[in-house]
Amino acid sequence: MPVFHIDGEPVEYEPGEKVLSAALRCGKIIPHYCYHPGMSVVATCRMCLVDVVDLGNGRPAPKLQTACSMDAAEGMKVETLNPKVEEGRKLVNEFLLVNHPLDCPICDQSGECTLQDYAFEYGSGKSEMDYSKRVNGWRDIGTFVALERNRCIQCSRCDRFTREITGTNEFGMFNRGHELTIDTYADRPMTNKFQGNMADICPVGAITEKEFRFKRRVWKLKKNHSICTGCSTGCNVTIEHDRNEVFRLKPHENQNVNKWWLCDEGRLTYRLMNERKTRIHQPLGRVDGKLEGVSWEEAYAAIAERVADMSPLPEEVLALTDTHASNEELFLLQKLLKDVFSTDNTFCPLPKWEQSESEFFINTLITTDKTPNRAGALALKIKGDAKSAKLKKAIEAELKVVFVLGNPFEAEVEVLEKIKKAQLVVHLGTFHNSWSEIADVVLPGQYYSEKEGTFVNKNQLVQATEIAVHALRRTRPEWRILADLSAALGQQSSYGSSADVFNAMTEQLKAFSGLSYAEICGVGKELRQQTKDSGMKVVKAQT
Amino acid sequence: MAEETLVLFKNIRNPKYDKSLAAYKKSGGFKSLKKVFGMKPEEVVQEVKESGIRGRGGAGFPTGLKWSFMAKGTGKPSYLVANADESEPGTCKDRELMLKDPHMFLEGLMIGCYAIGCHHGYVYVRGEYFPSIKSLNAAVDELYADGLLGPDPLGSGFNLDITIHTGAGAYICGEESALLDSLEGKRGHPRVKPPFPAVSGFNGCPTSVNNVETLACMPFILGDNGVEAFKSFGPQNNSGTHLVSLSGHVNRPGVYELRMDVNMKDIIYEYGGGIRNGKKLKGVIPGGSSSPVMTADEVDVLYNFDDLAKKGTMMGSAAMMVFDEDTDVVKLLHRITRFYAHESCGQCTPCREGTHWSRQIVRDFLNGNGSDEKLQRLNRVGGNMMGTTLCALGDAAAMPIQSFVKKFPEEFRKYYATV
Repeated sequence: MPVFHIDGEPVEYEPGEKVLSAALRCGKIIPHYCYHPGMSVVATCRMCLVDVVDLGNGRPAPKLQTACSMDAAEGMKVETLNPKVEEGRKLVNEFLLVNHPLDCPICDQSGECTLQDYAFEYGSGKSEMDYSKRVNGWRDIGTFVALERNRCIQCSRCDRFTREITGTNEFGMFNRGHELTIDTYADRPMTNKFQGNMADICPVGAITEKEFRFKRRVWKLKKNHSICTGCSTGCNVTIEHDRNEVFRLKPHENQNVNKWWLCDEGRLTYRLMNERKTRIHQPLGRVDGKLEGVSWEEAYAAIAERVADMSPLPEEVLALTDTHASNEELFLLQKLLKDVFSTDNTFCPLPKWEQSESEFFINTLITTDKTPNRAGALALKIKGDAKSAKLKKAIEAELKVVFVLGNPFEAEVEVLEKIKKAQLVVHLGTFHNSWSEIADVVLPGQYYSEKEGTFVNKNQLVQATEIAVHALRRTRPEWRILADLSAALGQQSSYGSSADVFNAMTEQLKAFSGLSYAEICGVGKELRQQTKDSGMKVVKAQT
Repeated sequence: MAEETLVLFKNIRNPKYDKSLAAYKKSGGFKSLKKVFGMKPEEVVQEVKESGIRGRGGAGFPTGLKWSFMAKGTGKPSYLVANADESEPGTCKDRELMLKDPHMFLEGLMIGCYAIGCHHGYVYVRGEYFPSIKSLNAAVDELYADGLLGPDPLGSGFNLDITIHTGAGAYICGEESALLDSLEGKRGHPRVKPPFPAVSGFNGCPTSVNNVETLACMPFILGDNGVEAFKSFGPQNNSGTHLVSLSGHVNRPGVYELRMDVNMKDIIYEYGGGIRNGKKLKGVIPGGSSSPVMTADEVDVLYNFDDLAKKGTMMGSAAMMVFDEDTDVVKLLHRITRFYAHESCGQCTPCREGTHWSRQIVRDFLNGNGSDEKLQRLNRVGGNMMGTTLCALGDAAAMPIQSFVKKFPEEFRKYYATV
């Protein structure tokens, strides 16, 4: 690749690339507001001024240039820190603050606001503006975001977002000159499903998420990389939490999956991470027809005792799971049935789903499959669907032991009725549901934000989640429960962590061979052997 | 009264001329177009280059050079857009041409279209120019009826259409890339350059945007012996006659067609008939409100691009605004800053905030709240807009501010020193 120089350091660039984009890629910070790598360049904030001391032909540029619109050229020498540049940034920053309300103490963006950061760096600390400031006021523009127009610095990122990214065009710039302001057209509320991104890309606090407004100062939030489990796209997210409470999900850039974006529905999945009312807090056992709290040891012992008493035949054992479970959990569940009961009666629901197709990339993020690991279940060859003959046949048998992981077949009353008759129903899950009501033993699992796990998204990409918050005291991750269960039932297992399970999978399963846990933790890795999903239907996206 | 040099105004100065197609043809119209259709487009561009004509819209960029920059072999159509969004305060020359002799301009536009291979020319007319719009539309209808527009005009095989498009009265739409945005139906916001319109302009196709007066010169330049005659009308690099919009405190304001080697003093005292009521001259804004102001001592200079540039100002669109000794310069500056604050498109920071802020400071002087500190601040705010914006409007707003503060500081002091 050709090379140019920023502050004396060589920087590689692709032909046609702009100075700012190449600089950011190499970790060189040039202050900017209006530039966003996913959208067109407008060069209007004028903050990314740099001094081009050599255009590549030995001559300097006549004046300061905006790095975002300047084509990089072989041999070009750019200075970003000399006094001329500092002076240029200072005056642009002064202009930006002329009409900015400086209400940082009550602004949610405070702490992650680039205007605030650069004002500290380049601001003078005292204003020479002694006239009343422009007032445009607060606007309720949609379900997900609020607009505080006084704070706006007219960078037009939000305008370009609805124009170029979602194609919905419901948001734009109005008026002219210093009265230029942003709003929706004809006072209609916003309708797109990706409004949260407008809050993300807003460099100041003009657009903020309603869900997060006035909840927590952002510098208190701790951040962990994770995967959105709202659907099978598996968008990369950052879970932001404080004192064990999750406050919001933000998209995490991954060019292979979601680029910079995340849908509003996905953002709202943070609510379940804080859900306590319907959570299962401790192991429960049925005593005299009523579920009562027991210890983990008592629960395991009781299950082992009952299974030994019944000594069930292979066809009398069944496991049901949903595709919310991670690869490790599905693998261990399958293994438990195979090793202990010599059966492969593991089923999960695999309904048909639709994938949107659109000229706007962002629309393809939403699928109708609202579970994160359908592709993982397919790779593990777990049989499925409530309508399938195999499941019908399996539940017709005289069932003795049934394991239920999560909340599979929640709408299938028939399945539930049949399973109810089994002699021992063990439910592993995080929330109380119809399965925990009929179960004889309920073992509390942990939610995505509390445990590690790997998921396969709709494009066969394997990705991992991190532990973000502390789990409830008396819960255990499902992979550990399943390992413990098989130990209690006489099969020794030696998994110390979720990564151990994953490594065992890569050794034992062809589909996962060749992967390593370390590899998938960053941007994910595609499965070597991919399974075709016959339940997918491509539909035109509705805008 | 001193004589004008009549090239563009040769018909307009004829009292019997009735601006119809027949009258225009009778005066020798469309001979140049016929000659041009017999030439190769490159030859036309070459002739225009040789004539040395510089754009009359304000920037003074050589027109031939501009046309030679048009991207070729892109597989996309080329466009020629006539910039008739004449909105620089003080300028009223294009209006005369469009209103009183539209065919000369349209012939020039057609020559330009042929030179750059454009089959659909556009005229972007300022929204407030209702009579001009009417006159242009009538002229275009006449041309279609006569077969000069449409398929195969004059048997040349060069299909040509012209559309008259009216703007909505925004100053910024006189900036070429904002004009193209507006023509496409968007908000008139100047675009990032590069790419220049010659590479990616109207609808992403190669486009040339030229001023009305520039195009109106084309029939003369490409007429018989036109290049040599055109060059002889002024000093080197400043060839041709140009239209000077003279306004302000002169006895005979108006649009004059002058050679480029006329002294500014003569324009004021000979053509303009001197200052109104026998007053003394205080200063001149030489090229539209955006050009740096000149004091009475400075006006002894040839009125053309290069000589004015040497004096630290510019000819711009050749709109001279003369003001006498009674004029309140601070009020004048307030009017100018108010204009730019109102007309800034607002997309880029220094101009959006700077034009408004400077207007507020100037108003402070008028309200009796001035101070030395504020005068310095006004100069600083103006300077900070200079050269830092996306288009030239920031510079246009900054230049009058800085020049007024520099050349008339006493006038500002009067507002607060006497209190």
